[in-house]
Amino acid sequence: MSILEALLVGLDEARRHLGQTLLSLLGLVLGTGSIVTVLALFGGQTKQTEAFIIEQGGFGAIIVYDREESLQPTPMELASRRLTYRDAAYLKDHATMLKGVAPGYFDRHGYRVGDMDFEGDVIGTTSDYAMINAIFPMAGRYISDLDVRRQARVMVLGWAYADSLFKGRPELALDKIVNLGGKNYTVVGVMEREEFYWAPWSGNALAHRNRRAYIPITTAFSQYTGENDRLDFLTLKAITPTGGPAAEAQVHQMMLSMHGVEDFDIQPLGQRNADDAQFFLMFNIIFLIVGLISLFAGGVVIANILLASVAERVREFGTRMALGASGFQVFAQVIAQVSVISIFGGLLGLGLGAALTGAVAHFMSQPAAVTGSMAAVALGTSLAVGAVAGFYPAFRAARLSPVEALRYG
Amino acid sequence: MALLEARDITKIYRLGRVDVPALRGVDLDVQQGEYVAILGPSGSGKSTLMHILGCLDSATDGSYRLGGTDVGTLRGRALARVRNRKVGFVFQTFNLMPRLTVEENVALPLQYRGGYTRRERRGRAGVVLERLGMSHRVGHRPEELSGGERQRVAIARALVGEPAILLVDDPTGNLDSKAGAEVLETFREVHAAGNTIVLVTHDPNVADEADRIVHMIDGRVAA
Ligand SMILES: Nc1ncnc2c1ncn2[C@@H]1O[C@H](COP(=O)(O)OP(=O)(O)OP(=O)(O)O)[C@@H](O)[C@H]1O
Ligand SMILES: [Mg+2]
Repeated sequence: MSILEALLVGLDEARRHLGQTLLSLLGLVLGTGSIVTVLALFGGQTKQTEAFIIEQGGFGAIIVYDREESLQPTPMELASRRLTYRDAAYLKDHATMLKGVAPGYFDRHGYRVGDMDFEGDVIGTTSDYAMINAIFPMAGRYISDLDVRRQARVMVLGWAYADSLFKGRPELALDKIVNLGGKNYTVVGVMEREEFYWAPWSGNALAHRNRRAYIPITTAFSQYTGENDRLDFLTLKAITPTGGPAAEAQVHQMMLSMHGVEDFDIQPLGQRNADDAQFFLMFNIIFLIVGLISLFAGGVVIANILLASVAERVREFGTRMALGASGFQVFAQVIAQVSVISIFGGLLGLGLGAALTGAVAHFMSQPAAVTGSMAAVALGTSLAVGAVAGFYPAFRAARLSPVEALRYG
Repeated sequence: MALLEARDITKIYRLGRVDVPALRGVDLDVQQGEYVAILGPSGSGKSTLMHILGCLDSATDGSYRLGGTDVGTLRGRALARVRNRKVGFVFQTFNLMPRLTVEENVALPLQYRGGYTRRERRGRAGVVLERLGMSHRVGHRPEELSGGERQRVAIARALVGEPAILLVDDPTGNLDSKAGAEVLETFREVHAAGNTIVLVTHDPNVADEADRIVHMIDGRVAA
């Protein structure tokens, strides 16, 4: 049985049932179009999530926290000194899988320059912090190893603080004195403005990074904690972007032997922040539901057309069987017939999907794009819907008794 | 040994709880190269017999051998194969595919057989159409032909696969007398070329064309 003939029959039958054909096409086009759009948006969002992770220091960045204390801590747990500067120093010297270790002190203090003052975040850390988080000074420098060793009273301002403390001229902050929690610091650097937008109407997802200042961690301990070297966090970076899991394993093992108990949690830095991509879940679900409903409706209409078409052509199938067509060949003919609508619907749906994706990408500033594999999925979906819808009519045609079919009509 | 050997063929249609016997023990032998007419009134079981002889249907009881093979026991796909290779059908209503050209219609049995390229199929269809004087119509659609021409296309389609036997059900029933005569002339030529033909009719004049007439009445062959 020739494909060409089946396609011709398909076209002809489509023409004879024009209204229903258009309806089923509408279903297929909307369906595949929506599915393509979901895929493209999802692809775009994945790309964006990756961009967001890279913006924040890339893959391979790791964060270690104190685990919350148990309700009834064991003696081992009570004996542990928890996450301390010593852990950081030890990892820095011994963890071969790491290229950076940045211990962190975090608190809020009052900032003051002249008549300008406010309360804000302070991070005490070491030089590796800038490398691990991929942040760069726009003027001056970051905290140095020497600053840490000398417990220097120096400060690196985040862009927003420099901007507000120095009245819109952040670059003027360099070498000025800033009072932090009653102690004076010399500003040795101002960081670049950090920004990331999931969508034009959503705010800067990295704004918090601009609203803080960095000081040497040793300075933080001597000035504010009374030499207590407990850490608020510990960020690390694996030697390669893909080396995260191996580094995590090594760190886990080292920390466990130091603490004697697992009172800490280790996580890839990106994973935590990637949850922000949930932002788009709603869009994906809406498109997906529209797509599935349309495909279903299209499939039902196709099945109807085919049933009618098979019923009208009973004698034709009887003749074909008399000429030697097997049940399977008759089945295949009906499926080939439905493929005409499916292929056509799939291609139009692909067009619609590309247009929708383009529109969404434009208006939501998403890096979404239709790729070859998405096109294949769309066509495949459309063909699959056609095949499922065509299965029963085709089965009916194949199961006709040749004699009855020939006597018919 | 006869080309076709039917022994004590019974066919009973079951309508709900009522049994309708269409054939009540038919014996029939047809020799290679013979031209046999089956003559009988409406409802006597001619078509039913022809469908069984053509492997479109199976008998309720009895045995049937075609070309030495017991085909009475075959089912489904195997039966489709026998129809395709051994049997050529010609129907009263022509039963051509309206969307296909004359040539494509004639090539259809080869398509179901498989193993032929498009060229080969066209070539063979062309040869048979030439033989039946229909070469000038290869590219036409059935609706553009006269009734007699359509029936000759159907005969070409039945012959293209070089079947062992041609089964013809009332070929002139839908034709005027002139076209009917032309079609019968075609069968005479086809028979002269060596083909075996079994032709079903209720018209004694048509039956007279054959070498031998088998009379059927009420599901039996009349003595
Ligand atoms: N599918 C069926 N179900 C029930 N009875 C049937 C069926 N097909 C045929 N019959 C009956 O079997 C008998 C023989 O029918 P058949 O069609 O073989 O006759 P025929 O000799 O070909 O008649 P005609 O000259 O009108 O074509 C008839 O009584 C018919 O009603
Ligand atoms: Mg009949």
